[in-house]
Amino acid sequence: MPVDKGNLIKTRSSAKSFSAFLFEPKDLVPFKRAWDWQKNWQKGLLAQEISEQAVWLLEHPSCYTLGRGATQDNLLFDSKNPPSDLFRIDRGGEVTCHMPGQLVVYPVLDLRFYQTDLNWYLRELEQVLIDVLRLLGLSGERLSGLTGVWLAGKKVASIGVGCRRWITQHGFALNVDCELFSFESIIPCGLKEVKVGRLTDWLPGLSIKDVRPLVLKVLAQHFQLVWINE
Amino acid sequence: MPALSSTMTEGKIIEWLKEPGAKVGRGESVLVVESDKADMDVESFQEGYLAAILMPAGSTAPVGETIGLIVESEDEIAAVQAKVPSQPSAQVSSLPNDSASNVEVAKNEEPSLSKSLSSLPVLSDAPKTPVSEPRLVVNEGRIVATPRAKKLASQMGVDLKTVLGSGPHGRIQAEDVLRAKGEPISVPWVAESNAPATANFISGPSKKMSSESKAKSIDLKGKSFGQPGQTIPFNTLQQAVNRNMEASLSFPCFRVGYKINTDNLDIFYKEVKPNGVTMTALLAKAVGVTLARHPQVNAVFTSEGISYPPDVNVAVAVAMEDGGLITPVLKNADKSNLFELSNKWADLVKRSRSKQLQPDEYSTGTFTLSNLGMFGVDRFDAILPPGTGAILAVAASQNNVVAGKDGSISVKRQMQVNMTADHRVIYGADGAAFLKDLANLIEENPSSLGV
Repeated sequence: MPVDKGNLIKTRSSAKSFSAFLFEPKDLVPFKRAWDWQKNWQKGLLAQEISEQAVWLLEHPSCYTLGRGATQDNLLFDSKNPPSDLFRIDRGGEVTCHMPGQLVVYPVLDLRFYQTDLNWYLRELEQVLIDVLRLLGLSGERLSGLTGVWLAGKKVASIGVGCRRWITQHGFALNVDCELFSFESIIPCGLKEVKVGRLTDWLPGLSIKDVRPLVLKVLAQHFQLVWINE
Repeated sequence: MPALSSTMTEGKIIEWLKEPGAKVGRGESVLVVESDKADMDVESFQEGYLAAILMPAGSTAPVGETIGLIVESEDEIAAVQAKVPSQPSAQVSSLPNDSASNVEVAKNEEPSLSKSLSSLPVLSDAPKTPVSEPRLVVNEGRIVATPRAKKLASQMGVDLKTVLGSGPHGRIQAEDVLRAKGEPISVPWVAESNAPATANFISGPSKKMSSESKAKSIDLKGKSFGQPGQTIPFNTLQQAVNRNMEASLSFPCFRVGYKINTDNLDIFYKEVKPNGVTMTALLAKAVGVTLARHPQVNAVFTSEGISYPPDVNVAVAVAMEDGGLITPVLKNADKSNLFELSNKWADLVKRSRSKQLQPDEYSTGTFTLSNLGMFGVDRFDAILPPGTGAILAVAASQNNVVAGKDGSISVKRQMQVNMTADHRVIYGADGAAFLKDLANLIEENPSSLGV
C-alpha cells in the first residue's frame, strides 16, 4: 500500500517575506565582538524590542571555538596555551576554527516564522551552502548523519547553531580562500577522518567578495528575507 | 526532554544552568539540550525552584522523558528530593509517577512553540533509535541471549546484565543489544526493490538447509516497532501515510491485472546488470515508456477535470526501516536512459534512508510502482495514493506451466501485475490497454528499453 506522502506537503507560501538587517563589516571582526552582536540581537528579539531578524557576513581573525558540549580531547594543543584565541561558546557541535578567507555567516532568525525545528534549520543551512556552491558550478554534498557540506570528500563548510526560544545564533563558516593549517591543530568537529578543503582548491582565484553576493541571494531565497542594509 | 525537531527522538543534556534548589524565574534558561549540531536553551515557563535533576549533564534522554522537577515553593523541595536519589547517576532514567501532584514536571516545551500538526513533516537526519525502555535493566542469575547478541555485546562492550530481552522468555536478541547501546537497529527488511523475484525465496522447500541459511531465516522475523504489550505512537511519516490511506477511501478505484512473461526481460537484465542497471530502473523505464503512450493512465482527477501532467514521473515505493514509507520519484522515466535511472535511483534510496530528500523528489510522481517481488509474493494489490491516477503492484516472477495459443505446454517465468486506478479518470479499457502494451514491451522487446 504505497503512498505518496508528498501530496500532503504544501510548499511554504513564498508570498510572505521578512525584513532582516544585513551587516557586512569590511574589516576582520574579533570573535567576541561578533558573538556579542548576535547575543544582543537575540536578546532584543526575545524581549520584543526589535522585530527584524539580522544576518552578519564577516571574517574573523584566527581563533578556535568549542561548542558547549564539546570535548577538549579534540584540541591537539594545550588549551591553556592555544596558538590563537580559544572560546567556548553557546552552540552545538565540537571544535572548529576561523581565520581570514573563511566566510562566516551568522543568521539571527526567529524559527517561529519558519519551522520550530532545529533539525530542519540545520538541513536548511546545508541547503543554502549547497545552492551557493551550485551557483559556483560545484556540487556540494551532505554526508549522511553528519552536519556540514562536503566537496569531493573534503569538508568545506561547518555548521553550528545555538538557539533560545527558537531564536538562533551562530551559523555557518565556508572555507573560501583561507589557509587550512589551523585545522591541523584540532580534530575538526571531532571527526578524525575528516579532511578539510576550501573553494580555491577547485576554483583558484576565487575570493570572499565573489561569494558574498551568492550567499546573500540564496539566504534571502531560503528564508524569504528582504535585506535592510545597515 | 523537549522535542527540538519533529524527527528528534532523544536529546543530550549538555549542561544544567541551575543547581538543584535554585530559584528559577519564568522564561529563565534551566538547561541546554543538544540535538545534532544545534543547542537549545530550555527555559522554564513557570516560576519556581529546581527541586531535582533526574538526568545529569552528559546523559541522553528520550523526548518526553522527565529530566528534572520544578516545584512551586521552597518548602516542597525537600519532599521531592526525598523521593528521588540525591546523587543522580547516569543510569537513572525514569521517575516514579506518583510524585507529588503539585510538582511541575520540567518538560518545558512551550505549547505555543510545539509544532502544529498541519505543518510540514520534515525530512531530516534519521533519528538514532526510538528508545523508550528504561536504560537500567538488571538481569539476575543466568543470562539467556542469542549467540549473535552475545557476540555483539562483547564487541560493543555492552553488559548483558543491563539489557532487556525482547525474545521468547526474555531472551536477549541482537537488536536488544543494539538498542541498549543506542545504535540504529537495522532489521533486514524491505530493501530497495531491485528484482521482481529472487530465486531463493520462491524455489519451494530448499533441498539442503545450510547452517548459514538457517541463521538467515531466523533473522528474517517480522517487522515490529514495539514490544508485545506496548502501544507505540505513530511517527511523522506513519501519520502521513495514515492520512493518505484514509483519503484513499474516498476515491472510486477499480483493479485490473495481467500476467507478464519475463523470460526475455530476465535475459536482457542479465546483459545490462554488469553495467549497473537495476531492475527498478528497468521496470520504471518500461512503465514510463508505456505511460507516455497512454496519457490517460498518467492523468489525475482534479475538481476542474482530468489533469494531464506534462511529464511522466514514476514514483517507486520504499519502506522506511523506522516506519512509514516514501515514494522517491524517477522524473521523466520515459525519456531517461537506464543508466541515468539506475544511478538516480541509487542516490534517491540512499538519501531517503538518511531522510535528505527534497519535497520535489518524493512528491511529484504521476504514477506509482510498488514491488514486493523480492518476497516471492504471487500477487497483491496496492492502495492508490492521492494526487495520482494509478498505481501498479508488481509481484514475483516465477516459473509457471503455461498453455500456449497453439495448445502447447511450456514453462515460462511470469509475474503478476495488478493496477489500482481511479475510475473517474481511468476506465477499465484504458487500464487494460495500458497493461497489454506494458506486457507486450516487456515480453517482446525489452532490449528497446536500453536504447
